[in-house]
Amino acid sequence: MLSKYILEARNISKEFYLPVKHNILKNNNLVVKQGDLITIHGESGSGKSTLLYILATLDTQFEGDLIINNTIIKTQSQSFLSDFRNKNIGFVYQSHYLLQEFNVLHNVLLPAFKSDKKNKEQLREKASKLLTELGLSSYLNYPVYKLSGGQQQRVAIARALINNPKLIIADEPTGNLDQKNSQMIFELLQKISSEQKTAVIIATHDPKIYNNSNISYEMTDGVLRLS
Amino acid sequence: MLGVLFGVATFIVMVNFMTGVNDFLDAAVFEGSPDLIISQKQDKNQVSEDLDLKLSSLENLDKIETTISASNNLKAYSKQVISPAIFISKHVQLPGALNGVYASAEQKLYDLDKRILSGEGFNSFIESNSIILGVSLAEKLMVNTGDSLKIIIPNGNEIKLKVTGVFSFGITTIDNVRTYVPAKMLQSLLEENELTTNIHIKLKDRNDISLKHSLLEKIKTINVEDWKDSNRTIVAGNKVRDVLTWSVSFSLLLVAGFGIYNIMNGTVIQKKKDIAVLKTIGYTKKDVVYIFLIQSLFIGLIGALLGVITGYAISYFISITPLKANDFIIVDTYPVNFKMIYYILGASFGIITTILAGYFPAKKASSVDPVIIIKDL
Repeated sequence: MLSKYILEARNISKEFYLPVKHNILKNNNLVVKQGDLITIHGESGSGKSTLLYILATLDTQFEGDLIINNTIIKTQSQSFLSDFRNKNIGFVYQSHYLLQEFNVLHNVLLPAFKSDKKNKEQLREKASKLLTELGLSSYLNYPVYKLSGGQQQRVAIARALINNPKLIIADEPTGNLDQKNSQMIFELLQKISSEQKTAVIIATHDPKIYNNSNISYEMTDGVLRLS
Repeated sequence: MLGVLFGVATFIVMVNFMTGVNDFLDAAVFEGSPDLIISQKQDKNQVSEDLDLKLSSLENLDKIETTISASNNLKAYSKQVISPAIFISKHVQLPGALNGVYASAEQKLYDLDKRILSGEGFNSFIESNSIILGVSLAEKLMVNTGDSLKIIIPNGNEIKLKVTGVFSFGITTIDNVRTYVPAKMLQSLLEENELTTNIHIKLKDRNDISLKHSLLEKIKTINVEDWKDSNRTIVAGNKVRDVLTWSVSFSLLLVAGFGIYNIMNGTVIQKKKDIAVLKTIGYTKKDVVYIFLIQSLFIGLIGALLGVITGYAISYFISITPLKANDFIIVDTYPVNFKMIYYILGASFGIITTILAGYFPAKKASSVDPVIIIKDL
């Protein structure tokens, strides 16, 4: 049966045994539809990053059920998940994590070249178009370290979008940015979710972001609640 | 990269130099001496009561010659009449041995005419009382071409010979003792016409001594000594040098390999976050291993190429370095071998070591857990 949700998480729990047994996540439920923009906020250590990485398929050691794009995640092999992430999930991190050795265009093309090795020219065009939409048209061949923080984060967003993912997961995307740039990045993510119908999940500390989103969750001691 | 460079270069220099020395010694020693020596088996029951000189003549000479001629590994053979003798010059007396040879046959064995320092070669054997000497022996006797030399052989006969030539094989063990006289002259001096005491054989391929075994099998009355028997010390020396060369060279490559291993390991730690990012955006373990292997292959290729060039340059400089050897070997510069195969070997070992040294860090890189990105925040 096809699910009407992009992401469906049921009864997600996780325990750490080191240094002592500790329930970091307790029976969390979360559903995400196309075009949803969801924010999760909470104190450090509340478990929101742990949940995010489970939702991102990077961590499969958990209790409960996770279905993304009609695929049951828990039982899949690592190589299947690599491919799955490449095609379905885009990532944006706090500290941009661009590869310093490559220029802007190549950083954006990294996920694209992984899954499609044939149409390099087409992909290059697609990446330039994407970067132009994000206002970086004059920086295509710049080494990434020459860009400002806000520009680097926009490159990271372009990289997340290049394979037309169903879901974008952003972990503190504005954590390193000033007010103006934070606002711009958040508006950009809002635009992506509303125009391209891509689901976006943002973990953040920034009240300006979680107070302005349609669906906002708060994580306290491993339990997710609508706020 | 420098590690591979030095490893490969040293490997090439070592191998070039060592095999150069080996080949040179082989050539010097073995070109001047026969590959197989046939002599009569000594019979203990045959006793000379009155202690007369008795040189054992080869029996079944015809059969021996047919067997030798039938071999397709034969380069040339030469019949010898060898007798002990005392040399008396104006200044010195020395004990030694006379080699009575048939000029044309002996010339095929050693190409003596090329090794003549003064006087004539075997051409002078037209005159029956001529003698040709090794250069070191001539120096000891203090004679030169044109001087006279008195010879006494064990049966009491004596003869005055004229030194018609002095030769050098470039190796003292030969130049110190070898003499040539016409076989006919020595036979008449020994009062035994048609006497042949030994046969010297040169083979096309020195390492194939099957002729020795077929001779021994067919003719029971002879001894056959091959070049390995006659030159045990040199053969053993070659072996020791070979073992030394290869083990030192391989250790050098191994050390270079560990250097690369360390560098690659460092890179993996340094690039942990980049690897994690690659893995989150869909790169698999295989892809990461591939990226790191390509990197070490690149280091290996460039290092090996530079190593080959450096190795060649150093080898070349060694080969033009003058060498003042003692009188064991006569040589102007260090002998160096420039065989292509050693360069190919050195380069490929270098590359293989690099790939192996890169593989384990690559494996380690591939198992980086992408979750480290959150943990570090």
